Formats: sequence, C-alpha cells, structure tokens
Amino acid sequence: MQGSLTQLQVVYALLLRETKTRFGVNQLGYLWAIIEPTLWILTFALFYGYYGHMSLPGMNLVAFMTTGIVPFSLFRETAARCMSAIGANTGLLFYPQVRPLDLVLARAILEFVTNLVVCALFLGGVALYEGVFNIESWLETLAGLSLAGGLGATFGLICCGLSVYSTNVDLLLPPLLRPLIWFSAVFHPVESVPNGLRDLLLLNPIVHTIEMVRNGWFPGYHARYVDPWYPITWIVVMLFLGLNLERMARRRMEVV
Amino acid sequence: MIDLDRISKAYPTRTGSNLVLDAISFSFPPRTNVGILGKNGSGKSTLLRVLAGTEAPDSGTIRRKGTVSWPIGFSGGFSGSLNGEENCRFVARIYGADVDDVVGFTMEFAELGEYFYMPVKTYSSGMRARLAFALSMAIEFDAYLVDEVTAVGDFNFQAKCRKAFEERSGRSSVIIVSHHIGTVKSYCEHCAVLQKGRLYYFNSVDEAERFYEAA
Repeated sequence: MQGSLTQLQVVYALLLRETKTRFGVNQLGYLWAIIEPTLWILTFALFYGYYGHMSLPGMNLVAFMTTGIVPFSLFRETAARCMSAIGANTGLLFYPQVRPLDLVLARAILEFVTNLVVCALFLGGVALYEGVFNIESWLETLAGLSLAGGLGATFGLICCGLSVYSTNVDLLLPPLLRPLIWFSAVFHPVESVPNGLRDLLLLNPIVHTIEMVRNGWFPGYHARYVDPWYPITWIVVMLFLGLNLERMARRRMEVV
Repeated sequence: MIDLDRISKAYPTRTGSNLVLDAISFSFPPRTNVGILGKNGSGKSTLLRVLAGTEAPDSGTIRRKGTVSWPIGFSGGFSGSLNGEENCRFVARIYGADVDDVVGFTMEFAELGEYFYMPVKTYSSGMRARLAFALSMAIEFDAYLVDEVTAVGDFNFQAKCRKAFEERSGRSSVIIVSHHIGTVKSYCEHCAVLQKGRLYYFNSVDEAERFYEAA
C-alpha cells in the first residue's frame, strides 16, 4: 500500500516535470503540440477532398481524418516517447524510488492527454461548425483512444528495455514505424477495403482502435469487424514482455 | 538501520569480472555515524549506491528500517534544462515532502543567489554540489548517505554542512564514504575499511586508520 502511494507520487512528479521539459518554458510549446497534428489532418483532408473518390455518407472529411490520424499518431508518438524514456532520464534513476516503468508511464499519460485535447478540439470544432452534436458513444471513442495509447506505451516499453542493450533500437524503430500509417486504415473505413486485403489489415491492432474511435463518434458507422479484445490481447502480451525486459534492464543499467 | 546480508556485486571488465563487493554482511547501527574508508576504485561508491537502492546487488539482500537518502554529494539526478527551484520541487514531490518548505530551505542553504532560478546546466560543478547537498538537508532522513563530502564547497560551506549534521545527530545517522581519513575523523564515531571487496569494521577511527594505512 505504502509502495503504491510512493509510486503515485513519483509518477505525478514526473508528469509535472515532463510537461515542463516537453513543452518548454514558453507557452509556444503547448501551441506546437496542437499545430503539428493540425497540419497533418488538414493536409490529408485537403488531399483526399480533391483527389479521393470516397463516399463517406454523413461524415465530415475533417472529422473522419481526425478519427484516423489522432489514434495513429497517439500510438506512434507514445511509442517513440516511451522508447527514449530511459535514455533521456538516466539521471533520475539515481533516486531509488524512480523506476524505468514510472518514466514510461509518465510519458504515456502526457501523450494521451495531449492527443485527447487535439481530438476534442477537432471533433468538437467540426460538430460546432456543422451544428450537430450527434454522438453514438463517447465511451467507445475514449476506449479506442485509450487502447491506441496502451498499444503505444507497451510497445514503447519493450523498445525501451531493448534500447538498454543496443542503441540501434532507437535509431531503427522510428523510421520503421512511419510506413505503418498506410497499413492502419487511417484514411479509409475498413469496410471499403476488399475482402482478402481486409483480413490482412485486421491483423494490425491499431486498425481496431481506430475503428472503435469512429464507431463511437459517427452514428451509423458500421465497424462490423472490430474486436476490442484483439488490441487488448496485444497490450497484455506486450506489457508482460515489456515488464520483464524492464526488470532485466534495471539490473543491467549503470547509473552514473 | 541498514542490514546487509551477503551482498555481492561484480562489474565486467576486459579481463573478466571484477568482484567489487564480496559477500558483505553487516548491520549499520542506528543513530551512529559510520565512516567507510577505501582507496580509489575500491568500490566504496558502489557500496553507497547499493545501500541507497540506486543500484541492485548481484546477490544478497538489504533490509532498511527508516528512510534512507540517495547518495549525496553526487550532483547527478538534476535535469540540466530545469532550474534549481524546479529540480527541488521534483525531488520534494517524489519524497512526499512539503514542496514550499524544501524549496525555501534549499534556497537559503545553497546560497546560489540568482542562479537558483537559472537552468542547472549553467552551474559550475561546485554550485551543483551545493544544490545537491542543500536539497538533501532539506528532506528529513533517518540515514544520510554521503559520498566524499570533502569535495563539496569551500571552507564556510563545509562548516555549515557539519553543523547541519550535528543538529540532527540525535535523530539521524550519517554514513560517509571517503578515501580521506580526515573527513571520516571529523564526522564519525565508528569506521569501516573497504578492501578487496571485504568490509572490516572498527569501533574506533584510530584503529581503522592504522589498518587503512598499513594496507
């Protein structure tokens, strides 16, 4: 009991600290956190608005892009930030109660909150613009985002553990993760993908989280192939692997 | 009180593994200042980190009764991009101490002036050490683990540190590692010598000195 209270204190302190180092001293830092996804969303919305032949009945294009890009970048950014959590903070492991897991957790929470704000701004903005607030299930959208963050955090935890053994991990993984955006149903509904390809796509757990976000937000969106247990299973397995790696890494790490 | 039970720690080197702590079993008595003497590279800093829990031993168990500080005198654990005050806030929070009290005490004790509000990366190593030492004094521990206190600050600052430890001598104990007998003499009643991975304990500093010099 005492132990988990200390851990809560530590994660809270790290969270405040990360917020400061992440967004910098000036207020512009917070703005950047929003500008980056904005550029992504608007670019893809414009691109598909002109060249795409998608029919998205009852869905605003910007809102649709948001539901794809936000969960995906939540996964990617969380993974990338968690991956470097130990490397960037070795000095903190010098305090015995700070564990590598806490560093990862603090970064994951910060990333989740930031992306949640971005998501709310865009989806809320579109809803205000169109004047219709017709949401199927807040809870499912939130669950989808949480699972996307969970996938990123657990994947990042594994990479973080591996990076203690080899610095190549930090260099190799981010560029490898980038093309994943084309295999995650970010720009189109899973329904619109031909049968054979769809089964392949559904092996990617991120696809399920994105579809959950859409299913929750757009009334009448049919995410027939979504299985929330699929990404949950991934998270549990990766968490197990990651925690074991973290344990081993902790012993191996030289705190200087 | 800290109990060590068959603590071993080895580091890999090019020629094989270097056993720094060789199955050390020892009980540090409560409210007693203990000095640990050791030559450079004898593993005293490693022992201190193991005592603090910063580093895990390869084998053996440690039991700590009461709160134990981090290894003090080491300027690590600060983040360079944050200023002195922000670093203090962080440490106060992870130890569950009152943030404003800790910041107030540290600011006064460290005597950094305006630099307290400057990023720690702009500090000299002496300033960092002063901040680290002041911060550790701001938080109440049952045992303070100190690494080479002689390296911290000028004469006045050292006198201040000694006074701070004397003030809390009834409540807390200090464990100091050093290669310098003078440091140990001025702080400690008891003394141990770390040599070739073993710890030799003496009830008087003089006896320890004879043993240490003979080696």
